[in-house]
Amino acid sequence: MRQFFPVEDLARDERFVQTNMAERMQDARQPRFKDAPASGTRSSAKSRAATARLTPDRPDASDAARSLMHGIMTGEIQALEGAGRTAHDFASGDGTNDTIPFELKLDMARQAWDEARHVEISVKLSAWMGTELGQFAENTVLFQAACSNDPILRLAGVNRALEGLAIDVFTQMKEFGDIAGDPYLEFCEDWMLADEVTHVKMGSDWLRKVTEKDPERRAKALEFQQVVDKLFSFGGARGESDESSIGLARRFRELAGFTDDEVDVIAKMDEDALAERKAAVQLAQEAAGAVAAF
Amino acid sequence: MDTRTDRSKVTVAPNEFKLVKYDPDEIADVVADLADRIGLANPIRIVVDETTPMAGMASTIDGTSSDALITIHVESGALEDTKRFTNFNRHHAEVSLGRMLLRAHDRLRPDFADAPDDDSLSLRQEAAWNTSLNGRLERLGVDINRQRWLYNHRNRFGFTDDVDAGFERLWSSDDLPWSAIDPDA
Repeated sequence: MRQFFPVEDLARDERFVQTNMAERMQDARQPRFKDAPASGTRSSAKSRAATARLTPDRPDASDAARSLMHGIMTGEIQALEGAGRTAHDFASGDGTNDTIPFELKLDMARQAWDEARHVEISVKLSAWMGTELGQFAENTVLFQAACSNDPILRLAGVNRALEGLAIDVFTQMKEFGDIAGDPYLEFCEDWMLADEVTHVKMGSDWLRKVTEKDPERRAKALEFQQVVDKLFSFGGARGESDESSIGLARRFRELAGFTDDEVDVIAKMDEDALAERKAAVQLAQEAAGAVAAF
Repeated sequence: MDTRTDRSKVTVAPNEFKLVKYDPDEIADVVADLADRIGLANPIRIVVDETTPMAGMASTIDGTSSDALITIHVESGALEDTKRFTNFNRHHAEVSLGRMLLRAHDRLRPDFADAPDDDSLSLRQEAAWNTSLNGRLERLGVDINRQRWLYNHRNRFGFTDDVDAGFERLWSSDDLPWSAIDPDA
């Protein structure tokens, strides 16, 4: 079986259209909420929530939840593909010279099994919410983080950064289902969240174990994790600000092996990413001279 | 007598888009076609806010006569291809604008005189009205994802059999007055 599979070769049928972060960041439009600065345009107050946080009292709550659920579903597919690749791409060994411990392979196989179950759950939840498969663009940033030649960088990028984001997203969606009274959403997200905490813990534990005698490799992996974390903050869509739709689930991250300092670093990165995104959008809008004719 | 909606009665602003790949003429065509199916002869002005990807919409009508100007403010996300960001999607536009045009058509009726302005509708009122509008749009030939709107309705009113029965009543009725749609009445 082929090893080291590039993102361009992922198998998808004609329903799916893929995008990436570079394309996403080229979009110079800006979400706006009630307290956002006036843009000189008159828009519908019906699209204005007090904050960006994804809660049922947002005017666009059900559509925003459907879109996020679709993102979760495609993320689960890529997480399955990533864990499967890591289990297969590297030979068994002591963790040096492009090998990984056999027990790490077993953990990756178990994760692939979990993710396959998550895909099935997410497909059913999407149907329940009225979403068609492939209805929204699939962002391939998740699998791209699983394409490193160093398995430890994959653990840092996928298990710690990506699955860490999954903890934040599932916590948000579970709360959404709970408040809305949606019994299926709340129940399913809770179960998937439990698995994600385990996946992050696997990444944290293996990263520390395999790099125990190689501080340089550990530092490189943690640096890669920060890069991926910043990408996964989607320009500040995840963060502790009210302008972020997804919060940072500190308690579950702690359970998954993140230290308070590590979570603080992620929170600061999210904040910076949000500020950078807003500045970039403002520049792009000014450059385009785009002011709607209201 | 030709009852087709006069395409020249539809205007779209801005006349050139810079942040999204939308064509004002294509938007006007969608609106004219929908107005024709709905039986709306009023002049219609569509104002697109391309500076945000959100999908909010609101409309105003200058009176209740057949020549009163209907103005629909729409954020760019309401017309967008959800698979290809910043690209226009005709079907998405039909679903969004069709709902707003039908709502405007309702507002021309005397039994909708008590309906609040769009910006004053509660989330529950908006959800109930949307259920009614989407059911009628489907019967006008627009392809509507019923489950999407059932989920929207349940999010506002609860996940119970009674709520589903209320959804069915709103979805399948054609001539309900505002008093029969308004959940806060």
